[in-house]
Amino acid sequence: MSAFAVKGTAEEARALPRGPVRGLPWTVLRLHRAALVVWVTFLLAAVGTLVWEVEVIADSVRERIASCGENGGLCRLTTLVDYSGTISWASTLVYYSFFAVAAFAGGALIGRELENGTAQLAWTQSVSPTRWLAAKLAVPAVLLVLGGTVFVLVFRWAWAANRDLMGDDWTFNDVFAARGPALVAYGLCGLAVGALAGVVLRRSLPALGISCVVMYLLNHNLEKHRVDLWPTVASGGSTVGGLPDDVWQVGDGSFHTQSHYWPMHLVETGIVLGVAGLATAAAFGLLRRRTA
Amino acid sequence: MTTLPTSPLTSPREDHSLSLRGSRGLVWSVLRLHRAALWIWLLLLAAVSATMLWAYGPGFDAAAADLRQQCRDSVVACHFPSGPWYGKYDTAVALSTLVVAYLPFLVAVWAGAALIGRELETGTAHLAWTQSVSPARWLAAKLAVPALLITAGTAVLIPLHRLMWNGGEELLWADWYDQDAFHANGTVALAYALCGLAVGALAGLLLGRALPALGVAFAAMLAITYLGNDYRPSMWRTVTVTGAKALNLPDDSLRLDQGVITTEGTRIGNNLACTDALDGAADLRRCMARGGLSDIWATYHPRSHFWPLQLAETGIVLAVAALAVIAAFVLLNRRVATASAAASVPPDRRTAAVGAAV
Repeated sequence: MSAFAVKGTAEEARALPRGPVRGLPWTVLRLHRAALVVWVTFLLAAVGTLVWEVEVIADSVRERIASCGENGGLCRLTTLVDYSGTISWASTLVYYSFFAVAAFAGGALIGRELENGTAQLAWTQSVSPTRWLAAKLAVPAVLLVLGGTVFVLVFRWAWAANRDLMGDDWTFNDVFAARGPALVAYGLCGLAVGALAGVVLRRSLPALGISCVVMYLLNHNLEKHRVDLWPTVASGGSTVGGLPDDVWQVGDGSFHTQSHYWPMHLVETGIVLGVAGLATAAAFGLLRRRTA
Repeated sequence: MTTLPTSPLTSPREDHSLSLRGSRGLVWSVLRLHRAALWIWLLLLAAVSATMLWAYGPGFDAAAADLRQQCRDSVVACHFPSGPWYGKYDTAVALSTLVVAYLPFLVAVWAGAALIGRELETGTAHLAWTQSVSPARWLAAKLAVPALLITAGTAVLIPLHRLMWNGGEELLWADWYDQDAFHANGTVALAYALCGLAVGALAGLLLGRALPALGVAFAAMLAITYLGNDYRPSMWRTVTVTGAKALNLPDDSLRLDQGVITTEGTRIGNNLACTDALDGAADLRRCMARGGLSDIWATYHPRSHFWPLQLAETGIVLAVAALAVIAAFVLLNRRVATASAAASVPPDRRTAAVGAAV
């Protein structure tokens, strides 16, 4: 498997794994170490920002608001926007990072290997194409699930910590996704769609472009139809001006209460995971037919 | 340059163009090598132009009819525009603004990955340089051909977007200073697209690999766009007014700051004191006397600053693009010089030097 490493030298041979991760998974990690470093840094930065904002900045924000004085409407507002904005940036960036996952999976993970012929070279060694693709998908999938879970837990805590300082609510696109497993599902779906595009097109840049476009279409349509993923409550006309707090109003007067969050969220997660499963199955099927 | 296309070179038409010499051949080879990108660009232009023309004409009429019907049905619904055609119109406008405003990102990732990075990674660039094309001319052609096509394309997109946007103002509830609309409604769209090309090319040359160059070019454009949005209000002189005028800025103004001047003469920014004193000058004077203030002020950009702001930002972004282009040429020349100097040293050290240069 040392054929994976392009600059095969004595140094590489010495670097053979001694730790718990060996064999095929190790080569996947080794080959894509740049992506691994970037992703871990990005996630740590996001989690670190959230912890920093909640634990350190929140108190000083309250002090600054207190010092704004009686007529400090704008001063109060800009202070709040600073705090709320930073937290929402973290969720926005991590939520939409599935585009980067799809680009990586289509471009670097699968497409480039098939374009350069390094995949075909690996298959002539002890690795069957199916096992090759399985390792290529399993290692990033495990990392996505682990990292995504950590982020979702930290974000749920950070988002709920200082509600009085936040300008958003549960219906915001990124907040809706980042407070539950949908965030992880989108990452896995990006991986699967990217892998399928890579296997189909066998070239890195077209696969990268197509997988991003597919993920945009899926995500855009789901975000647009989120309100339809669960039956709404009809207001019946009698509750005008008396709607409960924190509802998601749908154009025609009906609405979702916050208790609909989990059903809606889980339906979306299910759809995204379904697409991911179909794409994975298609990638394996196509690869097997090609190499049979 | 004839070796660049990896697909068949055997058709008679291609044999004919092989005889072309000089820059015509070079231009042709750039177009031929990136024909997929060329087709996508033409398709994108056609699709977005058609969408914008539809939104300007029939789309707007249908959406307006939807809205009139809705207002007749209920006065409350009049404030929440919806309806099948209104939805389609809104989507068409939003999507075309999105494409025109974020086109520079597409250009940057393409330039970094496909135009330059992949050529250096696979070695086809080095192969071209061993033929009749010098590296500098190779890069010049790589930049000039896309730059021309981008300029021609945006020269169509920007006027069409302005047509659609100005025509739909009563339905869109959009302001001239909205970030995406500002990007799509004037010359900054062209400037950012050219800047994307230059930054992408520089990233490709720096990294010499397609996918890392793609990522770095995207990140660099993100940073440039963010800085542009952040510093946009300071790119042209703002207008400051005092007294009652500060509370009633002209329609469609971009309000930047508001504050007070105390009786001791201290100027305090970001303060909304007396904003609610709207019942005439006497009311305002009473409020100011109560708070120990001698005056209130506001700074803003009136709508007439749209073009000065556009042109100032266009100039700055084009300057950034020019710097990136210069850096790319300097970098390329230096690398080639290092590589040819290495040609005179023994072979075992030569590979190392070329490796370091690439």
